[in-house]
Amino acid sequence: MTPRQIRFWSLVRRELSRFWKIKRQTIAAPLLEAFLYISVFGAALGSRIDELHGVDYVVFIVPGLVLMSWALNAYTNNASSILQQKMQRAIDDQLTSPASPLELLLAFSLGGFVRGGLVSGITLAVAALLVDMPFEHPGVLIVSMLLCGAFFAQLGVLAGVRAEQWDDISFIQQFVLTPLIFLGGVFYSASLLPAPFDVLTQANPVYHMVGLVRYGFLGFTDSNVVVSLAVLTVATAGLVALNLRLFTIGWRLRA
Amino acid sequence: MTSPEDPTAPALQLVDLAKRYATGVDALRGVSLEIGRGEFFGLLGPNGAGKSTLIHCVTGLANPTGGTARVFGHDAVDNYEHARAAVGLAPQDINLDQFLTVFETLDYHGGYFGMAKRDRHERAAELLDAFSLTDKRDDKTRFLSGGMKRRVVLARALMHRPRLLILDEPTAGVDVELRLELWHYVQKINAEGTTVLLTTHYLEEAEQLCDHIAFIDQGAIIAQGTPSELTQRYAVSTLEDAYLQLAGRSELSRAGLTAEEGR
Repeated sequence: MTPRQIRFWSLVRRELSRFWKIKRQTIAAPLLEAFLYISVFGAALGSRIDELHGVDYVVFIVPGLVLMSWALNAYTNNASSILQQKMQRAIDDQLTSPASPLELLLAFSLGGFVRGGLVSGITLAVAALLVDMPFEHPGVLIVSMLLCGAFFAQLGVLAGVRAEQWDDISFIQQFVLTPLIFLGGVFYSASLLPAPFDVLTQANPVYHMVGLVRYGFLGFTDSNVVVSLAVLTVATAGLVALNLRLFTIGWRLRA
Repeated sequence: MTSPEDPTAPALQLVDLAKRYATGVDALRGVSLEIGRGEFFGLLGPNGAGKSTLIHCVTGLANPTGGTARVFGHDAVDNYEHARAAVGLAPQDINLDQFLTVFETLDYHGGYFGMAKRDRHERAAELLDAFSLTDKRDDKTRFLSGGMKRRVVLARALMHRPRLLILDEPTAGVDVELRLELWHYVQKINAEGTTVLLTTHYLEEAEQLCDHIAFIDQGAIIAQGTPSELTQRYAVSTLEDAYLQLAGRSELSRAGLTAEEGR
């Protein structure tokens, strides 16, 4: 490896080892949470709910749960890692290294991206063992999941850089992300919503993400796949550009 | 971003370096300074004089608002990759990652500076030995005593064999043993060619170790020279007395203290 490759891999390795060292909290706990959702909403309550768009309720909610796992883990991992290192000023070790703003941004992003992908992947693998999961459009599914993971990984980086205390991170998670995810149609179909909520929900970006992932699995969506993919791509690229700018000027990282 | 290095460029060259924080505080007011290759340079001044800000501008932890800082000819802002690669920083405040072990701290740092795995392991073992940390190798840094943490910070700064070593008050609150271990080690690598920039409040240490001294106050260099030049210029016998004279506090001289005690 060239010195630059060693540098980048070391930055990434640092972020991966952080969550791996506390995997009970960062991997096992979110997996348990996902299975509780599947058990309660799918197996227990699902038997009382009619099929939605031709599939069992439990099958209907798995795509949303898989997405939610990636989204929340990518966000919390990156936000927490950056804030923690800022508070200890341990981040100065990376900031005084020859690493470029892009290298730093990508490394900090990849920690949560990989953790989210891991939790999401295991959730899906186990769900696929328990219920018969269709994979109607694997191409759309893979692209959508990667884009959603990247979007929330970037959002986590932004929150971590901006945060000055733990409350700043949990506020966004509890009061912004969780409502958007729950109201984004993870557990229901938007077509069941009464007016005007069936239209209002379209302003929720997570609605489009759930729609894409559900389309990838089930071949059905309430939203327009092309528009949703385009919006998600632009939003993710916008966040990358914003974060890169913040790392370049050192906003809340360098004095 | 490859630029050939000027072999005659000084280790550190500051020209009118200025830093105004967002709060409006002028921490550096046009500092010009030159540290030759292989020098042991002392930057002395009271708390809040601008020493750490100057160091932060050189290492990328602060963005200068005016002037330039060059490390071995590489601009610290425009050519930060080469400038930072040449610098090792032991900051004033201990800033270790509590999740990492002592060895991991050194290993990651070496990685950030592009060192290959084998080189990292050999260098880490060498530094663990030099700073009496070998038996703490696999301890998490959060469980170390204050003195041990300070050793790790110093070893980390040296990990990538920097050509310019910056020690920001490295001996504050440190026991005699570590202090002497550090000075022996730093004198050795200085003799081997490493340039050292030291800030300290222990003026006798600076007088003993440094080839050149600069006094900084309120963000400006107020005097500089060799220790003997400074003592001669102010007609005093110690660097501390020269410093006190510059600070307008000659009445605090130890000479007076000893005389009064002797009565």
